[in-house]
Amino acid sequence: MKRGRYGRYGGMYVGEVLVHALLELEEAFKRIYPTEEFQREFHGLLRDYGGRPTPLYYARNFSKLVGFKVYLKREDLLCGGSHKLNNALGQALLAKKMGKRRLITETAAGQHGLATVMAGNVCGLETEIFMGIKDVQRQASNVKKMVLLGAKVKPVKAGAGVLKDAVSETLREWAACSRTTHYLIGSTVGPHPFPEIVATFQSIIGEELRKQVLEKEGRLPDAIVACGSGGSNALGAFRPFIKEKSVRLYFVEGGGESRGAENSAAAFQLGSPGVLHGGLMMVLQDTWGQIRPSKTRAAGLNYPGRGPEISHLCEVGRVKPCYALDHEVFKAVRMMCRTEGLIPALETAHAVAYVLSNPDEFDPDDVVVINYSGRGDKDVETILRCERELNTP
Amino acid sequence: MNSTLLEEKFEGLRRRFEGAHVAHVYYGDPCERFSLKLIETLCENGADIIELGIPFSDPIADGPIFQAACERALKNGVTPARCLEAARKLRDSYAETPIIITTYFNVPYIMGFHKFMDYVRAAGAQGVLIPDLPVEEAEPYLNLAAKKQLHIILQVAPTTSERRLRRIANSASGFLYLISLEGVTGTTLKRTDAIKRVVKKVKAKSAIPLVVGFGIMDGKRAEAIVAAGADGVAVGSAYTKIYAERRGNPLDALPEIAGLAHEIKLGCILGLHKRQSTPSTCF
Repeated sequence: MKRGRYGRYGGMYVGEVLVHALLELEEAFKRIYPTEEFQREFHGLLRDYGGRPTPLYYARNFSKLVGFKVYLKREDLLCGGSHKLNNALGQALLAKKMGKRRLITETAAGQHGLATVMAGNVCGLETEIFMGIKDVQRQASNVKKMVLLGAKVKPVKAGAGVLKDAVSETLREWAACSRTTHYLIGSTVGPHPFPEIVATFQSIIGEELRKQVLEKEGRLPDAIVACGSGGSNALGAFRPFIKEKSVRLYFVEGGGESRGAENSAAAFQLGSPGVLHGGLMMVLQDTWGQIRPSKTRAAGLNYPGRGPEISHLCEVGRVKPCYALDHEVFKAVRMMCRTEGLIPALETAHAVAYVLSNPDEFDPDDVVVINYSGRGDKDVETILRCERELNTP
Repeated sequence: MNSTLLEEKFEGLRRRFEGAHVAHVYYGDPCERFSLKLIETLCENGADIIELGIPFSDPIADGPIFQAACERALKNGVTPARCLEAARKLRDSYAETPIIITTYFNVPYIMGFHKFMDYVRAAGAQGVLIPDLPVEEAEPYLNLAAKKQLHIILQVAPTTSERRLRRIANSASGFLYLISLEGVTGTTLKRTDAIKRVVKKVKAKSAIPLVVGFGIMDGKRAEAIVAAGADGVAVGSAYTKIYAERRGNPLDALPEIAGLAHEIKLGCILGLHKRQSTPSTCF
């Protein structure tokens, strides 16, 4: 495979100003990541600071409801409340070893911003977070946490004031400060080498999952279901299983209100290959190649692009691209609350919703793992408000 | 005529002891009629080469001034086809002015690079500049462009290593575009000493004309950069800023834009004279 490519997807489509920073990062990752010292520090932090390994929980009541065995890989229990910390700790540590002084990043739901400032503080790096102005308003509780932790939060007013615009703004900021600053990208998107780095740091999820399911079931699972937009939690869970053809992999994107171009974030359903934020990937766009804004209630899925690796895996048929609509997602939140006493993040609830809404996809003797990527405390207000809206005709 | 217009332009300017003034306009901001007037004003007042920008929804190498220009133009419904049509019109009225089509890679990618380049050629433009297409990604397209007798204008930056600089210079066609600063378009270039050193370094590695862009907003900066050895400067956001501030009627801004265009061109001329009259420090 060509460097930085996943089939036809990927690449390094950035301005010349940033190329040196990407080449430097590629070199540093190759050199530093495999060292014993880095592995020791990284896994030490994941364990003692993050709380890994996260459990694999047999969701007995939920299983009874759907009629087959469902396990939850509990990334919601990772410190910070989502899988985001795996990658943030890895990259912050790498940035520190590269001699960088500062981290910048963007966030939508706020989970990645939170993970970045936590990792930044642990590694002694300053943190600045770009956030679409609409997301700043929608995710007020996470903004407060980030500020409390010492991050500078910069609202982005350009464009529609959502994640896509925040990513563009962070890339612009990075162009001006890449010698001293690391852009800690939160998902498997962006120019090479970011998609590879993020997937590598996240694959701890799948590695643990493999061991745990073998212990509990004595065999590999029949299916793994994960939500996503860029694809970091999904790839983290999928990676160690990609060669295991018996394991079905489901990627659930944000269907939004309905499967129409104006109301959805489902780029695999409504998009086509295009170049956004430095990489060639499946993306929502018009016939001229102008990027279309995505729409979903789950801020963390509200991105018009699918990362290059997940784009490739779906194209070759290894991963099944699926979606869940908002009303199915809110129902899934309720079901998870009632059956297991867990409030899932709206993003995570997409994976739950797919399992609930598509019983035909699974056999009664299947072992299904949902990558339970995050907890829903941040979404309680949105969930209650949207349920009211959905219930009022 | 199509294929050698750019070379002839640089050659003519060299003979006249002038640096080149490249003016960058995002087409369709705030409307097509204004853009045509703006380009006319620039051509009549000292612009030697027009960089005609096709607006893109996510211009990651552009600062707030050009971002807003793209947003306004797209809101107004401008399409790549309309921009290429404008290039053709411009070719008819300004037969001697080379035109470079500037846009982000997704626009030609979606149209099909082959087809896009055919349209560029049919419009009478001389080449393309794609800021998010570094040399590695541009390589598969270089031969295709050369066969169509079009230039892919490559960029170098202060962060470009010596090794990359050689690779880029070897693939360069038309002119080499040096980004003056670490940042995006419309950023103020505070001091010119650092960029002067980069200009000298690049000139030592490459014989192709060198145009410096980003942050050049007045005659003084243009003069300093041309005096340091550049063959020209590119100016864009500085023009857009002037008319964007007159929201009511951008046409009112044209005299001021004409004034700035004059000033930049004068800087390009004075810079070259200054260079010619400064004894070389080599001996």
